[in-house]
Amino acid sequence: MTIHRLLIPALLAVTPAAALQRTSDHGSAVIIMGQEPATPIPTMLNGSANIAVSDLIFLRLARPGVGLSTTDERAFEPQLARSWSRRDSLTVVFELDPRARWHDGVAVTAADVVFSFARMRDSTVDAQRALLLRHLASVTAEGERRVVIRFRRAYPEQFYDASYHVQLLPAHLVDTIPPGQRFASSDFVKRPVGNGPYRWLRREPGRQLELAANPDFFLGAPKLDRLVFLTVRDPEAQINLLLDGSADIFEAVPPVSGPVRLAANPAVKLLNVPSLSVLYLLFNQRAPGDRSRAHPILGDVEVRRAIGLALDRLNLARSTYGRFALPADAPVAQAHWTRSIVPRSAGYNPASARALLAGRGWIDRNGDGILEKDGVPLALRLSIPATSATRAIMAPQVQEQLRRIGIRVDIDRLDFPVFIERRTKGEFDLDLSVANMDPSPSGIVQSWSCAGRGGSNVGWFCDPGLDSLLGRSINSPAKGGHAWQAAYTRLQGDVPAVFLASPAISIAVHARFRNVSVRPESPYGDLWRWSVDPGRRIARDGTGAPPR
Amino acid sequence: MIRWLVRRTLQAVATFAIAVLLLFVLMRLAPGDPLSRLVGDRDVSAAEIEQLRRRFGVDQPLHLQLRAFLEGAARGDLGVSIEHYPDRVTSLLASRLPATLLLGGVVLFLNFTVGIWLGVRQAVRRGSRFDRWTGRLALAAYAMPGFWLGLVLVAFLSLRWRLLPAAQMTDPLLPADADALTRALDLLRHLALPALTLSLTSIALTMRHQRAAMLSVFRLDFVTAARARGLSEKQVRWGHAWRNTLVPMLTLLGLWLPVLVSGSVFVESVFNWPGLGSLAAQAIAARDYPVLLGTATLVSGAVVLAGLAADLGYAIADPRVRPS
Repeated sequence: MTIHRLLIPALLAVTPAAALQRTSDHGSAVIIMGQEPATPIPTMLNGSANIAVSDLIFLRLARPGVGLSTTDERAFEPQLARSWSRRDSLTVVFELDPRARWHDGVAVTAADVVFSFARMRDSTVDAQRALLLRHLASVTAEGERRVVIRFRRAYPEQFYDASYHVQLLPAHLVDTIPPGQRFASSDFVKRPVGNGPYRWLRREPGRQLELAANPDFFLGAPKLDRLVFLTVRDPEAQINLLLDGSADIFEAVPPVSGPVRLAANPAVKLLNVPSLSVLYLLFNQRAPGDRSRAHPILGDVEVRRAIGLALDRLNLARSTYGRFALPADAPVAQAHWTRSIVPRSAGYNPASARALLAGRGWIDRNGDGILEKDGVPLALRLSIPATSATRAIMAPQVQEQLRRIGIRVDIDRLDFPVFIERRTKGEFDLDLSVANMDPSPSGIVQSWSCAGRGGSNVGWFCDPGLDSLLGRSINSPAKGGHAWQAAYTRLQGDVPAVFLASPAISIAVHARFRNVSVRPESPYGDLWRWSVDPGRRIARDGTGAPPR
Repeated sequence: MIRWLVRRTLQAVATFAIAVLLLFVLMRLAPGDPLSRLVGDRDVSAAEIEQLRRRFGVDQPLHLQLRAFLEGAARGDLGVSIEHYPDRVTSLLASRLPATLLLGGVVLFLNFTVGIWLGVRQAVRRGSRFDRWTGRLALAAYAMPGFWLGLVLVAFLSLRWRLLPAAQMTDPLLPADADALTRALDLLRHLALPALTLSLTSIALTMRHQRAAMLSVFRLDFVTAARARGLSEKQVRWGHAWRNTLVPMLTLLGLWLPVLVSGSVFVESVFNWPGLGSLAAQAIAARDYPVLLGTATLVSGAVVLAGLAADLGYAIADPRVRPS
């Protein structure tokens, strides 16, 4: 299934009883968020809610096209840059769109770009982003509208790094505010001024954030005049607000129960869009609580391989995430451009799994159904965060499928902070993790390379051979297709985890909206293109644009 | 009386201080990294985690964290929230308190007016059909979990019959310049379901207490004497008998008063009511120490104050317990 097909704008059904006949296709949207978008500011983006909202207020120079290719700069879509060119293999030149304006009316200039890159490359502001921008040598302005970005070396994702990781900040408002606590408590954070299709209107802490359409948006005035982001954490309240018509959009519909409940309201339609997430069963390579020793059971690659063979990934993916989920073969999600080149991993084969374990000396000698070796039972503890409904569904299935080959799994449902703490300290055998990734496949280096240990490589997995292949994939001038394939094959052979599922984003949308499109990396990035079917307006569409 | 009041107030202050200290220490002993929510499943380097620890002061030894908290609290500053960074805890509490006070106040009012009236009526008509059926219904309501009752009410009154909104405190698209009447009506519509849910489950308790207290007072000689003096039944009931049930009802009120401030976690969650209960629940889940400590401090203060108020109430209502 291609991303093009999944991103086709959906034309949705009607609610004639509630409709008010108007000629305008303008309207409002009330959007439910599970987290609060308290700081949708480019230098303060923690959490998916902040990231999603910031995409409406602050634009990048360019963004990946519908295929989400991160290596083909011709496929990128212009945003603040109307065009770009190359001077050589190390230099990209961006020409800014002269129509681009900040919400206070000041023009977006090359000075804003230089300032924003300088701020983002400061590791005290955002260490992770600074790491992503480490290959940039310089960012300079040539006049008001031209920006020149030079790299330290040639690699296929230069353009992606130059355009995707930085949303611009207004230098004329921010350059006098030092980063850190003073910036966090500044008026700019309380009332940010952006350059995107929506401008900040007001925020009621803990309750809602309201944006208003920017009628002067240089790429076209948005049709939805007001966007209200409601913070609703309770899963029942989230669905109830959709069902009683108080809200229009919700992007985290529970995959199994959600569609059943939403079927009660024909005014709400469900869209499924490929995501950038992968759920996996992570193996701790080191002894829990003592990283100087190998894990007594999972340190053996044959045991890890047997566990992979014993899990019916297709069944697990579909029973947990519904029919739009796909089994994953590597840390590659449905929406990644490398998805099509990932080799298929070994399929479900419990008989082979049992044989592998027997070959390593794991045999049920006392007839209790659990394998033993040297008197030690093959027993493992599986950590999951108690807040995750999907992992709560999947964990008992994993437990049962492993029981069938003689492995006892005890599930620890942990508070989220405890779950993360145990991961970070390496105090686990197995855990069900979700990786929410960038569009770039090179992000896997952080979790699966030797250098990632101590950071996000919490399983302490290390294979220098894989590191070499990943380095070659990222740096290959031939856009890395074959190199990536070799890296994925090596990773599958090492079995640092069983990659179980790549879910789809299930997003509920009111049926009156037209031109609906949802992007995997930015669910609301195209919201400004949505409109309301004039014949299907409801009362709240008539509230119009709020005063400036 | 004044010496008693001063002594009782000092006791209350000491209780409050001990409670806050215990809360501070116990929270730090609980497992779980307070920065986990910020980190989540995101790829974060060790350097960034250290940077975050420094920002929130959780890299400091416990005694220094305590000192910083006490110094801040003395200035009226409870620090910065980790979960809601960069919002300050005091502003978060201030933004959530009105919603909790409104819901708690309405529920407390309904609880004690309707509950007392029903309890007195039951006692007066003891053994009647009204007494039996009210008792059964009250028991059933009391046995229902609040969140479950809330979901049932939403299913019928909001989703099926479309009479009331399913959640929220206000209409999200209510214009900022809407007039006071529009705002009040909107608020009432949204308040109805959470208030009804909490009232239905709590009135039963007040009613049962009031009924038992009235029945024990009806048996006493002064009630017979009042009737013998020719007072009307209404005067006997409310002017003599009911006044003598005030002490147990004040005890009950003293127990209920902190709920006015602490809110109801489950009902606030189900109705997305932006009160202190749901704020505290989120803070617990995220190990947001500053918010948790701020909420706990506020609630401890309310408990201590309610206890003090109840003691004062006894002294006013019943001369026998008034200190000499």
